[in-house]
Amino acid sequence: MNKFNYNEVALKNLQIQDTSVLDRLVDYESAREAHVKKDHSQRDKRMSLKEAVTEFVSDGDIYTDSGFSYVRSANQALMEVVRQNKKDLQMIGSPNACSSFLIATGNVKYAHASYQGAEMRGYDRHYSIALKTKKFRILSDWSHGAMALGFKAAQLGLPGLFCKNLLGSDIINYNPYVRETQNIMRNDRDEVVFVPALFPDVSIIHVQKADKFGNGFIYGPTVNDVAMASAARKVILTAEEIVPTSEFRNNNKGVVIPFACVNAVVELPFGAIPGSCPGYYYWSRQWWEKYFRYAAMNEENMQKFLEYWLTCKDQYEFLDRLGGAKWIVESRRQTLAAEYQNEDDRFDFSYREWQAGIKPEDELYY
Amino acid sequence: MQTNKPINPLEMLAFMISKQISDHEIVYVGTGLPMVAAILAKKTHAPHITLVYESGAQNPAEGGMPWSVGGPFTWRRSPMILEMSYSFGQCANGYVDIGFLGFAQIDKFGNINTHMIGKDYLNPTVRLTGSGGNNDLSSLTENMVLVGLQAADKFVEKVDFITSVGHYKGKNSRKEKGLPGNGPVAVISQAAVFDFEPESKRMRVKSLHEGVSFELCQLACGFELLRPEGEIPVTEKPSPEIIDILRRDVDPQGVFTSIPGL
Repeated sequence: MNKFNYNEVALKNLQIQDTSVLDRLVDYESAREAHVKKDHSQRDKRMSLKEAVTEFVSDGDIYTDSGFSYVRSANQALMEVVRQNKKDLQMIGSPNACSSFLIATGNVKYAHASYQGAEMRGYDRHYSIALKTKKFRILSDWSHGAMALGFKAAQLGLPGLFCKNLLGSDIINYNPYVRETQNIMRNDRDEVVFVPALFPDVSIIHVQKADKFGNGFIYGPTVNDVAMASAARKVILTAEEIVPTSEFRNNNKGVVIPFACVNAVVELPFGAIPGSCPGYYYWSRQWWEKYFRYAAMNEENMQKFLEYWLTCKDQYEFLDRLGGAKWIVESRRQTLAAEYQNEDDRFDFSYREWQAGIKPEDELYY
Repeated sequence: MQTNKPINPLEMLAFMISKQISDHEIVYVGTGLPMVAAILAKKTHAPHITLVYESGAQNPAEGGMPWSVGGPFTWRRSPMILEMSYSFGQCANGYVDIGFLGFAQIDKFGNINTHMIGKDYLNPTVRLTGSGGNNDLSSLTENMVLVGLQAADKFVEKVDFITSVGHYKGKNSRKEKGLPGNGPVAVISQAAVFDFEPESKRMRVKSLHEGVSFELCQLACGFELLRPEGEIPVTEKPSPEIIDILRRDVDPQGVFTSIPGL
């Protein structure tokens, strides 16, 4: 007998015959076992990005990363996942808007989808094309809120929870994990949706500061990161800076990732480029515009784009291609002004958007 | 910014959205026009509102327009930032008075689709973004306002995918389904403002924008629109002072309210 009782309608609609591919995401026993087996000691977990990805990202893993769209996502770790050519990954996250190039590079086989797009820059054509050409498959469809509750349930140590999100929607018919049911606390009819706790295999979380044990400090929105750190079987922390633990003892405001969850600590300045890292650098607006308006339009463009940007050996080479020292200075000024950290009310955010036909000399990634 | 230019359709939309907001409310906003509208409301008739975002940010210092809900414009100098799950919990617990959503398709009961165009989920004509927070806001927020472009293939008899339930199957069915809140209270397009007839919960014209007839509005709609009793009012236009505030203080660079050539 299969251990898990999946929503039959969704299995049929998604044409999933072999359900074993779904199991690990909701298998709290195996997640707990992985957590039990971790070395719980306070020890120095620092290592290189290469070592961390080699050791803690495996083919077939359910993969998630931090932040929100362009903000504090573990983009450079993602590039290392591509360099090491990890295969058959399952993407999950709300939103995981920056990961569609993992499909183009052939690293992703499945997605647990909640949002894929570029917010004000529209939907992700590449994602749409890749779905239609079966480059990857959607295993479950979500809303941000329902997925966030799944991660939160995992953090709280619950097998799952009931909510009102998704009620009556078609999302339920395309998600084998959730179902509508009667609220057991009520005698009158009260429909609720069961959402199971969600346990990714690996979370890569980019933070502003970490100590060597893996306590992590986040400035700006934490989004789902605290929950995903607790839930995931393996956690890699990439950090702009490594700081002594005494800094966190003096002021623990914003220290939200507990060391015990963390398997590896990677000192990775500019680990979120070409996205932003609050307090450190602004996102590369033209880079994303070119991604969505050029690369995502067809396979040929995408391959050209990726050949240029994914052949960097590390984040420093990537930085050089973005604009080097000038990029660093500009993007730091931009983020501080955007955050009102320097009260610079005269700061001019205007720039030339990337459009087809833009002159090469106008391609500036800041 | 020249203030003597006539108001453009995006500015008009921003103004109409802003009119849905009452003072002292907690307003859940995405990026784009709803944000412009919320800040316009704050600078005009509703100075005491609190803006909250899907990033979890509460009441940021305003100014400038963001490109991402996660970007600094939605959380800078916020007294606090919640996690994503708590931010939707605010809606479920009744702390959010009004929210705004966009859509690719909408039906006569205000059910909306942001998932896909086509009949086959596994092979759609176009796959769109998916829900994001759309379903959560629709399911949980006290009052929803839906904003989008009106055309016969967007205002449809049946949406290709129900991302978010509005009034579900009409009448009392939203409540019977177990969903909290009032559901959608208004729909705003470039042609008209709509509400929902209280009994049937079907979409009804509330006011038509200047120069739009009921027949024209119906032509750009794939289902039968209800007509209010009596003469249909013309949608209120903003005063020159409000247009000035919008252009000077709210979106001076025209990030969301400028149309090239206008």
